[in-house]
Amino acid sequence: MGAFFASKKNLLRIYIQEYDNLLTEHQKEEKEMEDIYAELLQKTASGDQLAFKKLYEMASPKLMGLCLRLMQTESLAEDVLQEGFIKIWDKAETYSQGKGKAMTWMSTVVRNKGLDKLRSLKTKAAETEIQYEGLEFAAPDLEPDSLENLSQDVKGLMACLDKLKPAQRECILLSYYYGHTHQELAKKMDKPLGTIKAWIRRGLEDIRPCLT
Amino acid sequence: MSDLKNETRRYQNPELFEQLAIEYAVGSMQGRARKRFEALMDTHFYLRAVVDAYENKFAHLVELLPDSQPSDKVWNNIEAHINSSAVAQVDPEQKTAWWKSAFFKQGFGLAAMALIVSAVLLFNPMTPDATAYSAVLESGSNSAVAVTRIQKSDMKLSVDLKMPVEVDNNMELTLWCHPKGGGKPMKMGTVSKTGKTEIKISKKEWQNMKDVGLLAISIEKKGDNKIKEPTGEILLKGMLNFAG
Repeated sequence: MGAFFASKKNLLRIYIQEYDNLLTEHQKEEKEMEDIYAELLQKTASGDQLAFKKLYEMASPKLMGLCLRLMQTESLAEDVLQEGFIKIWDKAETYSQGKGKAMTWMSTVVRNKGLDKLRSLKTKAAETEIQYEGLEFAAPDLEPDSLENLSQDVKGLMACLDKLKPAQRECILLSYYYGHTHQELAKKMDKPLGTIKAWIRRGLEDIRPCLT
Repeated sequence: MSDLKNETRRYQNPELFEQLAIEYAVGSMQGRARKRFEALMDTHFYLRAVVDAYENKFAHLVELLPDSQPSDKVWNNIEAHINSSAVAQVDPEQKTAWWKSAFFKQGFGLAAMALIVSAVLLFNPMTPDATAYSAVLESGSNSAVAVTRIQKSDMKLSVDLKMPVEVDNNMELTLWCHPKGGGKPMKMGTVSKTGKTEIKISKKEWQNMKDVGLLAISIEKKGDNKIKEPTGEILLKGMLNFAG
């Protein structure tokens, strides 16, 4: 019995090593990275907890960045991240590559959890607690070094957003990253509510042809 | 006419629902409007497909965010949740050990398992059978052009072309279902060049859907009923997904 568990442990160690080897070999290549995410998600769908842990280790820092901006406090962000990953575990079998990239699918699952949570909270975190704001990470004039590491998909999306007026672009990005309501945007940008609604509506109308 | 019917009619205007779908995906649709839209997405598949497409586009924005390491407790909680849920289900690791036990190395163990599996499949009302499949079919430029839905409730396959397709008068559009593991495709029938086409499917075809990967629409010579696989240009294609 003991020998069985020992060999099983060794097998798990080799398995982890295999994933780590995969990661170091492929991390520079965007497509191959996506393949790893998709493969791990596929293994997760079949109940492979080790693959799921690896998927969590790889994807959680980026998704935590998103949760922090949506929720504004670390404890709420971690709650959302946790609920999001439990949903990824539960629903992994519904993912297929036809639904897009594995990372974008997971981002959508986690973000929708965050938006649900925001909706269920009566108020957002008090202003004094806010540590996460601004859009400097998505500035239109990113350093060439930062641009080089981005995927073609996000470069294409940024090019579409850059065609908008700066205020429209800002409203759309603040809605996406921070889940701000129209009222919150009006207050933040010190503009009438109607103006904010019009900026977003027209901005999204203008960006649609570019996205398709 | 009820509010819901009015609302549903509004969402049948492609311009309007595209705009609403993108607002939903970005997160600028909020409050009750968001809830109403979610309820409509549950019943109107095309809304869901368009929202999915926009959500996918915008999800790339996450790539720009700086990384933040969550605390260890997040994973610990996730792991605890999975393990506690696995008690009620079957832990994959336990499944392996169970399978390797001495009992199952004997022939009667296999026979007993076959009986149990048959009984569970036949009588367990919780068996998660598919009730619907869907696919968004795209052209070479990757723009969504048709939405396909296959439902067990009416045993129909529908293809909804979102923009008319221009094909010579002596040609027609044919829909194919390609098996995931390769092999000959199933010819599902002719699709109208505009609007929605509904094709009745047999029980066997429904059962085969779980093994279908790619759906494709090809341009074929009109009336050529003998073809067993696409011979003309593939106009639209997309992966079939489990949808309910």
